[in-house]
Amino acid sequence: MPDTPRDDLRLLLGDLQAIASPLQTFLEELYERLAAMNDGAVANYIPELARANPAWFSICIATVDGKVFQVGDYEQPFTIQSVSKPFMYGLALEDRGRDDVLRRVGVEPTGDAFNAIILDEASNRPYNPMVNAGAIATAGLIGGSDPTERLNRVLAMFRRYAGREILMDAAVFTSERTTGHRNRAIAHLMRNFGMVEGVIDETLDLYFQQCSLLATCRDLALMGATLASGGVNPLSGERAVEARYVRDILSVMYTCGMYDYSGQWAYEVGLPAKSGVGGGIVAVAPGRMGIAVFSPALDARGNSVRGVRACAEIARHFDLHVFEQQGDAGRLRAALSGRGG
Amino acid sequence: MTRIVSIHSFRGGTGKSNITANLAALAAAAGKRVGVVDTDIQSPGIHVLFGLHGDDMVHTLNHYLWGQCEIQQAALDVSERLGTTVSGSVFLIPSSMKSGEIARVLREGCDPRLLTSGLRRLAKALDLDLLLIDTHPGLNEETLLSIALSHTLLIIMRPDQQDYEGTGVTAEVAAALDVPRTLLVVNKVPPMFDAADVRMRVAQTYGCEVGAVLAHSDDVMALASGGIFALLQPQHVLSVALHELAVLLVN
Repeated sequence: MPDTPRDDLRLLLGDLQAIASPLQTFLEELYERLAAMNDGAVANYIPELARANPAWFSICIATVDGKVFQVGDYEQPFTIQSVSKPFMYGLALEDRGRDDVLRRVGVEPTGDAFNAIILDEASNRPYNPMVNAGAIATAGLIGGSDPTERLNRVLAMFRRYAGREILMDAAVFTSERTTGHRNRAIAHLMRNFGMVEGVIDETLDLYFQQCSLLATCRDLALMGATLASGGVNPLSGERAVEARYVRDILSVMYTCGMYDYSGQWAYEVGLPAKSGVGGGIVAVAPGRMGIAVFSPALDARGNSVRGVRACAEIARHFDLHVFEQQGDAGRLRAALSGRGG
Repeated sequence: MTRIVSIHSFRGGTGKSNITANLAALAAAAGKRVGVVDTDIQSPGIHVLFGLHGDDMVHTLNHYLWGQCEIQQAALDVSERLGTTVSGSVFLIPSSMKSGEIARVLREGCDPRLLTSGLRRLAKALDLDLLLIDTHPGLNEETLLSIALSHTLLIIMRPDQQDYEGTGVTAEVAAALDVPRTLLVVNKVPPMFDAADVRMRVAQTYGCEVGAVLAHSDDVMALASGGIFALLQPQHVLSVALHELAVLLVN
């Protein structure tokens, strides 16, 4: 945040430099091309999500050195839904440590849909923290003496990642809470196996609350950039999560982040990512950038149609796949700081 | 690839628009395709050098920024006005001279993303070799954006106490924006000054390359922006210096 006149100059020049960069031109051309795609449908399991405008569309990139590139409806707030899951997982790891969390939630991709009622038969654990069962178990691990303190700790964490106050959509929360019978069933099943402790309704409330947090595409890009830079928000310089857990968060995002599309995503796009039924996707290019897309029309697996395409095209164009070893790093460098032609 | 050049001065009245129009004409005379954009929305004026009046302009940069036309529609081909010796082309994108239309931009501001994509689209659509951006004096958002887009920044200053400090500010901003090349032009230098001495001192003070030292000229004043001086009096010592500066920009 600016606290001296020099910071004002630095921030203004940084914004303008981003706007003038070839990367911005690339994003605008990509945006125009993908805006013409009208496939998919907005989520409709609660009326609040069904009201989303399918035309909404934004692509944002935040680099680890704090440059932000944005196009489209980047100021439109939406509920982050499942995009909250990896960040909650990080907070649980900080609160309980790796071993304790691993005893409650596995790290194995399921290949099943996000809302599957399925637990690992040998251990009774949910398969991973990115499916609903695992995310509910993870919410139960968040530290705090009462529901208010736990929610405040969660809000404070998202504030550190996004670099600004993150609020909750009360209508979405109430709606999720009233209609979330399947999630309630999952929670009770886990309770039956002794995998969730405490008051189940409080844990479920926290889960519904984390899904109802409002963010913009720009926020998601900064949250991704924070993970890309070892847990430190590149604009504020504030640490959002302990460095040693960033690896764990990115690993589960890589293997399980895109629901039952995760394998193909890892193969084609090759970036740790997480999507939500609100239409948001955040992808992380470690050491380089966070990429976020917001477009509420979803495919059959619950991933944003334009979001999947946009991430794939950005990753391919700039050789961002984490296993790419013959990429042209100069292309990204030129797009970030060059003048273009 | 289009070379983008911003022409800026921290204070007004340095001869910025006059030099810009002359450089555009000289580059076109060398066969180049040149675009000139008047981003001095608050106080436009470079169209006058090309013999245009506010009423001649149907579409302007203002109309593009409001989404009322494509940027190419605001481009006026002024090549024929430069005479038959000019083998290249000059396209002018003027700003509106209507007070209401100036006021609207002041009230609503100007979307830097729209300006950027417009300039890039223009360069591509008209296949420009050179795009000259005539900026508003001082620092404002359009000016800073123009500098951020530019391969070369031309800073015009007079040998005047008022210009010394401001030029330093512009040079500092250019460095922060990683402008690949900054050229200083000292204009309206009193004839009794030693040009070589001025060039050396300016280069030392700002640590920038000096593109030209141009003597004050009554002949230019007498023309009163009524035309392109370097084309009208090509043998004039000032025209020769402007020609050398144009060669620096084009190469």
